Amino acid sequence: MLGWLMFIIGGLFIVRLYNLQITKHAYYEAEGLKEHQAKFVIPAKRGLIYAHDGVNIVPLVLNEPAYLVFADPRYIKNLESTVTSLNRIAGGNMVKDSATLLSDKQHQYVIVAKGLNKHQAELIKKENLPGIGLQAGERRVYPEGTLAGQLLGYVNGDGVGQYGIEQFLNSQITGKAGLLKASATDVHGIPIDSSDKDVQIPVQDGSNIALTIDRSIQSYAEQALKTGLEKAKAKHGSVLIMNPQTGAVLAMASLPSYDPAKFYDLGENDYSVYQNPIVSDLYEPGSVIKTLTMATGLDSGAVKPDSTFDNTGSIRLDDYEIRNVEQDVNGKRNMADILLYSLNTGVVHILQELGGGQINRQARDKLYGYFNNRFLLSQKTGIEQSGEAYTKLFSPDDPQGNNIRYANMTFGQGMNVSMIQVASAFSAVINGGTYYKPHLLDGTLNELGAEQYQPPQVVKSGVVSPTTTDQLKDMIHMARQKTFPGADKQGYIVGGKTGTAQVIDPKTGKYSDSNAIGSYLGFGGDSTPRYVIMVRVVDSQISGFAGAAAAAPIFTDVSNWLIDYLKLQPTQ
Amino acid sequence: MNEIVRKHRPDFLILLFMAVLMLVGMVVIYSISPALTERINTFGNTLDQNHFMYRQAVYLIVGLMAFAFTAIMPLGLWRKYQSQLLVAALLVSLVPTLAQSSKLVLCTNGACRWINFGAFTIQPAEALKFAMVIFLAGFLATRVSTDRLNKVNETLVPVGIILAVVAMIVVGLQKDLGTGLAFFGIMVCMLYVAGLKIRYFVLALIGLLIAGALFTITSVHRLERVSTFVHGANDKEGTGYQINQALIAIGSGGITGKGLGQGVQAFGYLPEAANDSIFAVVAESLGFIGIVLILIIFAMLFLRLLRVMDYAGSDYHRILMAGIFGWIFTHTVVNIGAMLGVFPLTGVTLPFLSFGGTSLLFIMAALGLAFQISRYTMHKLPDNQSKKEKPHEDRRGRRRISGSRYAGTSRFERT
Repeated sequence: MLGWLMFIIGGLFIVRLYNLQITKHAYYEAEGLKEHQAKFVIPAKRGLIYAHDGVNIVPLVLNEPAYLVFADPRYIKNLESTVTSLNRIAGGNMVKDSATLLSDKQHQYVIVAKGLNKHQAELIKKENLPGIGLQAGERRVYPEGTLAGQLLGYVNGDGVGQYGIEQFLNSQITGKAGLLKASATDVHGIPIDSSDKDVQIPVQDGSNIALTIDRSIQSYAEQALKTGLEKAKAKHGSVLIMNPQTGAVLAMASLPSYDPAKFYDLGENDYSVYQNPIVSDLYEPGSVIKTLTMATGLDSGAVKPDSTFDNTGSIRLDDYEIRNVEQDVNGKRNMADILLYSLNTGVVHILQELGGGQINRQARDKLYGYFNNRFLLSQKTGIEQSGEAYTKLFSPDDPQGNNIRYANMTFGQGMNVSMIQVASAFSAVINGGTYYKPHLLDGTLNELGAEQYQPPQVVKSGVVSPTTTDQLKDMIHMARQKTFPGADKQGYIVGGKTGTAQVIDPKTGKYSDSNAIGSYLGFGGDSTPRYVIMVRVVDSQISGFAGAAAAAPIFTDVSNWLIDYLKLQPTQ
Repeated sequence: MNEIVRKHRPDFLILLFMAVLMLVGMVVIYSISPALTERINTFGNTLDQNHFMYRQAVYLIVGLMAFAFTAIMPLGLWRKYQSQLLVAALLVSLVPTLAQSSKLVLCTNGACRWINFGAFTIQPAEALKFAMVIFLAGFLATRVSTDRLNKVNETLVPVGIILAVVAMIVVGLQKDLGTGLAFFGIMVCMLYVAGLKIRYFVLALIGLLIAGALFTITSVHRLERVSTFVHGANDKEGTGYQINQALIAIGSGGITGKGLGQGVQAFGYLPEAANDSIFAVVAESLGFIGIVLILIIFAMLFLRLLRVMDYAGSDYHRILMAGIFGWIFTHTVVNIGAMLGVFPLTGVTLPFLSFGGTSLLFIMAALGLAFQISRYTMHKLPDNQSKKEKPHEDRRGRRRISGSRYAGTSRFERT
């Protein structure tokens, strides 16, 4: 009977085994695979960001290993000593309530600390804490410190670029993560062996890129801006340096800024410092626009350099009066005087000439044709910066695009533009008439570190004629020479135009005299313009017109230094 | 007994089947040893990757020594000191409970079952099984010879008391339902073979079931296991985890298995991979064909044991064989049944295959006794036996055994 019992039980076992191993084999194999298979994302290396320094390429943004501490609370043996050890080694990196997370045995994976450096990670490894694991990752480091921080942007905790270059070129820099599906892993998801059921998608690392930024110029510009703002007792200001022959941005800096390595710590500043005001801040640029109005007048043939007009000090349009700042230069004046004395009546005169003697639809159409279609002030420049802002100019069809509006626009009021728009348009009118796309991306670096240069992109050619350029350059050069005699190095052609734009006082809703944005827009070089510099000081607290008193000194400082740095040869 | 039994050649097939099973266990443990040590080493140890195989080899050698010892040591000696043996085993079994706080005792999950000697641990309950088999065999054989077996006061009451004490220690104090079940299997088997009337048997069974139920519901730990069994292995995180992992291992083995060392379940998924769950590892590695072959080897071993029992030269031998068979058989069935998800998981080892010291040691010692008994089997089935029950093997197999017996007296005498 015991024998029969044995055979019955044994038979039942075999039936059950048959059921499990043969009938349901596929099901259990799938169950097992589901459990054993782990997907590993092979993170792509984020591309490095380089700048130029003369002819050399120097790093601005590199990666370094950073570690994440995770835990499987079920395997933690001594909670108290584990928490103590972790806090001792990585106290500053611990997440909130890490002790609570570690004590919760319901979870199998909790993150307890982030952003540890290699040294800390090694110390934790040495502690041999059961249930505690380390996961290697990367974080950004900035060998040049805060240099160009604002235009670079930062990378957040999820590895996503925020603001600046990091955000704008995020997909290109991020690359494509690879994937490894390991079909056999242990209970912690560590692969046991590679097998033919593994799936692999190779990782594509992000591109290493080189910027048009020149480290020395950027550094000098930042320093000059800081000094200039201190002198003007201002807190907010920007400086932009471009190569007018290519549209390459050599430096762009604004204050206040922030340190991308400590992007979470903004000190006394608010989140607005993340935005690069040179591309994102729309403002009424003021008199620097007179250079563009003049270019329009000359290029359209409405005026010639030796054309004259009767400066009456003010012009009345309906019930609106446009006045000049300088009132002791009334009388007969030529075109160069308009830029020299910054005559509002002069640029309004040009607008009238565009209309055949009066401000009319034709005048507005012609100015709009230049400002909108040639100087591209109604569209994004496309510079590699996140958050670029633009707004449309009021067209002549628009009820708001009336005569008064257009009269104001001739001297940079009643229109909102960004510095990058103005500087790019200015570059086009002084380089012979080619509008280059302003850009920061100079090229990508291949595996060997050699740069794959990206040629400058012509957005529009024939913006103005070369003759117009020559005439305009002379005028601007002369205007600067007479306004700031002896400021520039001898033998170089440097020209510039001040701008002091009135700002609408948010309290009164009217333009106020006490609150003005000072700008300076100019170029410099030998026989050809080699650089365009635009300076803006937002909250100058010193007497005098902000354009001349606060912004121009910064231009002069940078310009003279650039002539040496670029080793330009004097023309005379 | 109507035949004078002389010492003859033992049943070497017992040794052979045992050796085959041990070898299979050894190979399987060798194949998963790296996986097991790797997991232990991740928590800060530095074990050799063949650690488990080396230990198992040591256990097997010690087990073989125990086998040899009990195979040689005269049975009469065991019988003479059966009471002392039982009392001693009972006292040792109390040590884990009495000395809970000392370093000598190892407790896991609130169950104190082991005495810790540092290098190795001993589970006294396994020794108690051995002592129980010896004692009951002697006790019941005396009752049978004096025809008092079916007297309630003289047999059932003492046996019931012993069982109650054992159950209290093993199931009550040590919270070890699996071992309790093994005791139950051993006793039922011995009482049945001794010739207890079926009605007492049924009565005892009902009593035990009630006692078992009471024990079960008084412990959350046991209740969980039984509820896991009743509700199936759906509860994948809790106590159903082990059964679920065992089913995945067995099911994914398929017809031919993944091959030795190719299984994945031993990598931390399947708890107790080398011990209680080794059946699942074997099924994953060797597949349906392999595992059925192993079941056949087990069956052949059991048939040898049953045969020795049927041809036993005395009631004492017969009842002792019943105990040994009941012991190994219960372990095997309870273990495999749990792995297949048809019995509740109780945590008993699979004889000869499972990694582990005490259980292996005493099972081998018990088999040593069986080996010794096989030297004293009879040529023919005893009359009362042949009437009641058919022999478990055909005559051909028997003749070989008896052939050896004659060999001793033939003119081809060995020198």
